[in-house]
Amino acid sequence: MSRTDDILTVESVARRFGGVQALGGVSLEVRRGEFHAIIGPNGAGKSTFFNTLTGLVSPDAGRIVFEGRDLSGIAPHQRVRLGIGRTFQITRIFPDLTLLENVQVALLAHDRASLAPWRDASKHKPTDARELLERVGLSGPSGQLAAALAHGDRKRLELAITLAGKPRLLLLDEPTAGMGAQERLESIRMVHKVAAELGLSCLFTEHDMAVVFSVASRISVLVQGKLLITGQPEAVRASEQVQRVYLGEAVIEQGVG
Amino acid sequence: MNAQRVGLIGLIAVLALLPLALSDFWTFIAIEILAFALYAISFNLLMGYGGMLSFGHAAFFGVGAYAGGLLAKSAGVGSMWGFALVMPMAMAVAALFAAAIGFFSVRRSGIYFAMLTFAFQMLLYTVALKAIGLTGGDDGLTGLRPPGALAAPGPYYYFALAWVLPAIYVIHRLVRSPFGLTLRAMRNNPLRVEYSGVDVRNHQLITFVIAGAFAGLAGALFAFSSGNVFPGWLNWTASATPIVMAVLGGVQSFLGPALGAAVYVILEVTISGSTEYWHLFMGLVILLLVLMMPRGLAGLIDRKRP
Repeated sequence: MSRTDDILTVESVARRFGGVQALGGVSLEVRRGEFHAIIGPNGAGKSTFFNTLTGLVSPDAGRIVFEGRDLSGIAPHQRVRLGIGRTFQITRIFPDLTLLENVQVALLAHDRASLAPWRDASKHKPTDARELLERVGLSGPSGQLAAALAHGDRKRLELAITLAGKPRLLLLDEPTAGMGAQERLESIRMVHKVAAELGLSCLFTEHDMAVVFSVASRISVLVQGKLLITGQPEAVRASEQVQRVYLGEAVIEQGVG
Repeated sequence: MNAQRVGLIGLIAVLALLPLALSDFWTFIAIEILAFALYAISFNLLMGYGGMLSFGHAAFFGVGAYAGGLLAKSAGVGSMWGFALVMPMAMAVAALFAAAIGFFSVRRSGIYFAMLTFAFQMLLYTVALKAIGLTGGDDGLTGLRPPGALAAPGPYYYFALAWVLPAIYVIHRLVRSPFGLTLRAMRNNPLRVEYSGVDVRNHQLITFVIAGAFAGLAGALFAFSSGNVFPGWLNWTASATPIVMAVLGGVQSFLGPALGAAVYVILEVTISGSTEYWHLFMGLVILLLVLMMPRGLAGLIDRKRP
């Protein structure tokens, strides 16, 4: 199944939590350079799937192969060192540090210098850190505390932190969560542009269909822990199965609301 | 030269001249303050910088004190240089204990980490109490005296100062280094640090060992000033001391815990001299200070940092 232009291959990954089969054998490939979206109703297993890729949750069965390397038993921080970067649905930054320091923490980690006990951390590649901040659109004063940032800018900062690790595969969990409709589109286009500039492959989960269809090169639909379909946006949009899933959800939501 | 540097040089000058102005009793108190300042700063490396609230930091202060006392006694240390060697050896013993306890404790975080450090400390307390052949049990180690001229408060003050100042400088370098920046980031968001490619548990363990080693040094220095070591130094109530000192002085400031240690010790000496209910008064004073100054005493001096 594995092809040389796949950066990530997921083979029949399964995971059960107590009596709930969160993932029931999911297989998919992320191709080099693609912008791959995972969609699906709430509780479809998107988060669990993401967490198996990043090593937060270990699968009961199946294999995850990154650039030809089996990731079984590889700790989260080691996966990052291999070239897999991630952002979180609930944004994770370091509010008590300055913007520059936020990025420097990750630059130090990438340079395997996090344990250096004597020299001044503020002198570690400030130019690289500033460049990354500008790349994600944070051109304000880099000496201000991250706690002062608005929600959207926090998302940008987390992206800069992630990019500092020089990943080749970017995993974004709900990159536009908590944003307004217009901001969502701007934000995902920025991420798309940055990923394209740096030649990164990207896998992301997303709720907003407008966002998904604006940037995704391929889409996988996850329903009740199983992969319904993977394909080009047009094919997914045209799929009756997908329409049934989403129409069903829409009806339920209206019924509740 | 900026104001901060002038202040620092002034502080060191005052510390260097202090015994000239103090009676033997207050020099003895000044030695206690030096030891507890280092102890509180070592604790704050864990809490203020790493966000690791240890309820068992007294274990390492106590282990350092016992190790120093036992080493000096068993080796019959007579020379000043031999005595000086006792300090790094006490540090090393405390570091070893911290490595063993930290290995298990850093596997959990928050209150579970606190409970593990608490449990290990109580284990060591019981050993100190029951291993009478080694520790003297209830009676503790007694008759500890630095050799020769160092036995007088004045010279021993300088001996302690010669250990405490470099130790604090080393910790200061550490918190500003890549190691320290990563530690501060871990206090904010350990998962984000892990997903930047850092082995968070290992980083916490190293921090725990360093903090333990400096607490051990503080304990050994204080042991030869007080002349005794008691099991109570390892009791859980003793672990509250560095917490109170750090909070009192301000955990957001590097020297805050040292300031807290000074105020704590001086309050203890002055209040306990005038009433046997000094714990009550101490409690009230701390309550007022914490309520009125949530950032500690250092917050009054340095208003810039949030």
